[in-house]
Amino acid sequence: MSNDNLIETQDLSVGFPVGGKIFNKSVLMAVNEVSLSIPRGSFFGVVGESGSGKTTFGRALLNAAPITGGSAHYDDGEVSYDLGKLAGADLKEYRRRAQLIFQDPYAALSPRMTVRDIIAEPLEVMGLCNSREEVDERVREIASLCRLNLEHLRRFPHAFSGGQRQRISIARALVSKPRFVVADESVAALDVSIQADILNLLKSLQDEMGLTYLFISHDLSVVAHTCDHVAVMYLGQIMESAPTRQLFQSPRHPYTKALFSAIPSLDPDDRGKAQKLEGEIPSPTNRPSGCQFHTRCPFATDLCKREEPHLETCEAGHAVSCHRWRELQLAG
Amino acid sequence: MSLIDVENLTLQFKTDEGLITAVDNVSFSLAPGEVMGLVGESGSGKSVTAKSLMKLNPGNAVYAPESRITLHLDSGPVDVLALQRPRDMEVVRGGAISMIFQEPMASFAPAMTIGSQMVEQLLIHTDMSKKQARELSIEMLDRVGISDAPTRFGQYAFEMSGGMRQRAMIAMALSTKPKLLIADEPTTALDVTIQAQVIDLMKDLVDEFGMGIIFITHDLGVVAQTADKVAVMYLGKMIEQGPVREVIRNPYHPYTQGLIDALPQLDDLDKPLMPVPGDIPSPLERPEGCVFHTRCSKIVGDVCRTIVPGWSDTGENHRTACHLCDQGQTA
Amino acid sequence: MSAKTSTKIDDQKAKEAYFTASQRQLIWARFKKQRAAMIAATVLVVLILSGLFAPFLSPYDPTVAGRDKDYLNGAPQIPKFCDKNGCSIRPFLHTVTRERSLATNFRWVEKINEDERRYMQFFVSGDSYKLFGFIPGNIHLFGMDQGYVHLFGTDSAGKDIFSRTLHAVWTSLQVGTLGVVISFVLALIIGGVAGYYGGAIDSVIQMITDAVRTVPSIPLFMAIAAFIPPEWSAETRFFVITLILGLVGWPTLARRVRTHLLTERNQEYVLAAQLCGAPAGHVIRRHLLPSFTSYIIVDLVISFPYVVLSETALSFIGLGLKDPVNSLGVMLQNVTKADVLLNYHWYFIPVLFFIALVMAFVFVGDGLRDAADPYSETRK
Repeated sequence: MSNDNLIETQDLSVGFPVGGKIFNKSVLMAVNEVSLSIPRGSFFGVVGESGSGKTTFGRALLNAAPITGGSAHYDDGEVSYDLGKLAGADLKEYRRRAQLIFQDPYAALSPRMTVRDIIAEPLEVMGLCNSREEVDERVREIASLCRLNLEHLRRFPHAFSGGQRQRISIARALVSKPRFVVADESVAALDVSIQADILNLLKSLQDEMGLTYLFISHDLSVVAHTCDHVAVMYLGQIMESAPTRQLFQSPRHPYTKALFSAIPSLDPDDRGKAQKLEGEIPSPTNRPSGCQFHTRCPFATDLCKREEPHLETCEAGHAVSCHRWRELQLAG
Repeated sequence: MSLIDVENLTLQFKTDEGLITAVDNVSFSLAPGEVMGLVGESGSGKSVTAKSLMKLNPGNAVYAPESRITLHLDSGPVDVLALQRPRDMEVVRGGAISMIFQEPMASFAPAMTIGSQMVEQLLIHTDMSKKQARELSIEMLDRVGISDAPTRFGQYAFEMSGGMRQRAMIAMALSTKPKLLIADEPTTALDVTIQAQVIDLMKDLVDEFGMGIIFITHDLGVVAQTADKVAVMYLGKMIEQGPVREVIRNPYHPYTQGLIDALPQLDDLDKPLMPVPGDIPSPLERPEGCVFHTRCSKIVGDVCRTIVPGWSDTGENHRTACHLCDQGQTA
Repeated sequence: MSAKTSTKIDDQKAKEAYFTASQRQLIWARFKKQRAAMIAATVLVVLILSGLFAPFLSPYDPTVAGRDKDYLNGAPQIPKFCDKNGCSIRPFLHTVTRERSLATNFRWVEKINEDERRYMQFFVSGDSYKLFGFIPGNIHLFGMDQGYVHLFGTDSAGKDIFSRTLHAVWTSLQVGTLGVVISFVLALIIGGVAGYYGGAIDSVIQMITDAVRTVPSIPLFMAIAAFIPPEWSAETRFFVITLILGLVGWPTLARRVRTHLLTERNQEYVLAAQLCGAPAGHVIRRHLLPSFTSYIIVDLVISFPYVVLSETALSFIGLGLKDPVNSLGVMLQNVTKADVLLNYHWYFIPVLFFIALVMAFVFVGDGLRDAADPYSETRK
């Protein structure tokens, strides 16, 4: 394991039992053999459509979804854990070091607690502070970092708008001074004019607190602007993973390319030029054979239908899972 | 001649906390075959505006007396707000105007097949026979790109995927040949690849059917790809309107500029994201003067805090309600 | 100008108060806005208080011990302040003599002697009682210097219907409270286990719940009534009836508890707490229980009238409490006789109390339910 990766996964799989408890029992593989490395201090993006398993992947790294296959390691230089085997004091310590920012700023805050109590909850649960004064001190510190009005700490969440709530939610996640933060669609529910504000806040907090983010999103343009490195997921698998700029300038996988061209351009004259994907994402209970993407891929061959491709490195830091990446000219 | 004219539409909701102004003196008109994008963030009143075209707002909605919505049909003009009885409304609702929603699952009755709902609607609004209605429904499903339409006709909404449901919704909305289609965030709940498919479909359908469309969205990219003209709303007020190229390339109002700057764009990854500062005020505390002044970075002076700006021409068919215009300044 | 700023400051204060209002305060503020519910709440409080202090408020013992044997099936007597002999500050009644003979077709005929006044007195000592079951006393709010006063008339045994009604309200409230508490405790345990653990345990418990729900109540009651030995005292009967009502009533409540728990358990803020490593105890204490209490109180208030109703229905069809006990059901049963319908209309007065009680509970419950969700859209 190299020393500058915070998270490394090797063939990580997460499966959920579906169907009846006794009959029709089957396993839904939400995440299927994912191998990724998240470098320390990076803003790592995972993009995919709904049903791609990106949320489950994030939850698995937080020990909130069962790891059913493969392994995941965490190493922040001070401590290192095998995430599949966390328990007891190690799990407790890992909870402090890894936190989650939710998508919906309305559901993630208990309506029955004041903002102060919400932000203070992790401190109290983890027993990180010895006195109430200390808790208050930490709460005020993180609240001002998240640009919350300190006079509002006595208020209840119902007094706040979406953007403010999301800042409270961030303050709550960061109050235990974590190293690793999973931001799951954290701006998807916000208005455009607020979205940029939250993204900038996440960025500035990263610099100040030395955080590593796993930023999960369905929105490629948001990911393009915030992340250093992006992994594209489809049906629980990584299709392509590359440094942001490289991915956007020279995508290698037809799916990545299709995702780009699907984003509606702001230029009104740029209408309908792009190549669009046909069909829809198949159900994870009914996976296609061979390459998971072949049912929608315009370049699919017989080989794609038969054989599953593996993630291959095509350039430094750029990996792609496609049989035909060498021949296809997708850039431009 | 225009298809629909909205003049001085003002709408308030009676609530426990008092009167909440949802739409404030909004005027626009739409020609047949024209696609208008209605852009705004949450609470901007864009959905309420569109719903009032069909008088669909809940019972606690109060329309100001000077509000006027005129729908020009072949049979003559209809004063929508004057319609009282449900029978009279039928001309408008589902007849001349159809609507599609963000969440198509909620718009289909769960216990009826897609087909029987389409047929039922056709029987109400046209004088087709049941057989004709069935044939037309299947034809429409086929037309919106649903493969194996006769089978899908007999299915329930929950048996379809999100994109498929939205297609069925569009088929159903268009089967009565409406003059005006209101699309309320029709692609927001969909994945990007599906969104692209639905946008393409809607563009084709406009060319084919020639109805007017009001496309409500918060996504300027979607508007740029679909609309002929754009109206931007903020806190119930229309602040800028004009042809889509004009408004997106030369936005005049600081809010429109802010929206465009806040949008992450793929062609320049180094461009920093510029949020519009501050939060959207609660509808209970509408700012006086220009509604946007609490977040505006280009305040001219006290006039912004006290006087509601009127419309000024800022280009060909391009109007903006901002005090900057009176100053003769270029933004 | 200063007036304007001061209203602005007041405004700001009001807003801050709203923003810092807890869920309970918001519910109360919303509840206060509903007129019907507020009126019902007042009625309910008055009824509960009058039930609670029934021994003190009622002039006589509601059992045979306090009967007026000279005034059987007597009409209500309304104290007056004036008669042809002038007025008095102290309310009074006239002396009444009753007679039954061949001439009157064997019906009681009253003769009012307008010259003889009987005065009303307050805080008189009379029949001894035990307030709340243990505080002994014999002071009653009002009484007469001589003879009896029957505001709501008397029944066939000469018992004062006013006294009986107040005691009956108290009995019915007791049955309701006890029944609700029993079913609530059962519901909380059973629904709580089902909702918190979920999975197979939940499925099994749901099966049992559904099985209990399918038991038809009336035949069950009839069977039990047949089973209760006739020699049991009124108190034992009362206790058994309440127990049965509680045992039959839990499934509905258990289902709601389970649903609350299941939805609440999957809330993101619960996950957020769990991701901090919060133990189950913390999640239950800080998140699940508080989220619950307001809803549970609402549920309790709403299910209360059903228990009262079932008790009344049981007693009404003769399977529940029997005449010497005062419950609203027993009072209602007395109304069914043809004689009463024709001649003794005052027997219906307790029915009004019964209706008022049930309606008050229903309206308060509805009001609480509407108020309990401060985040719902404003309804018309």
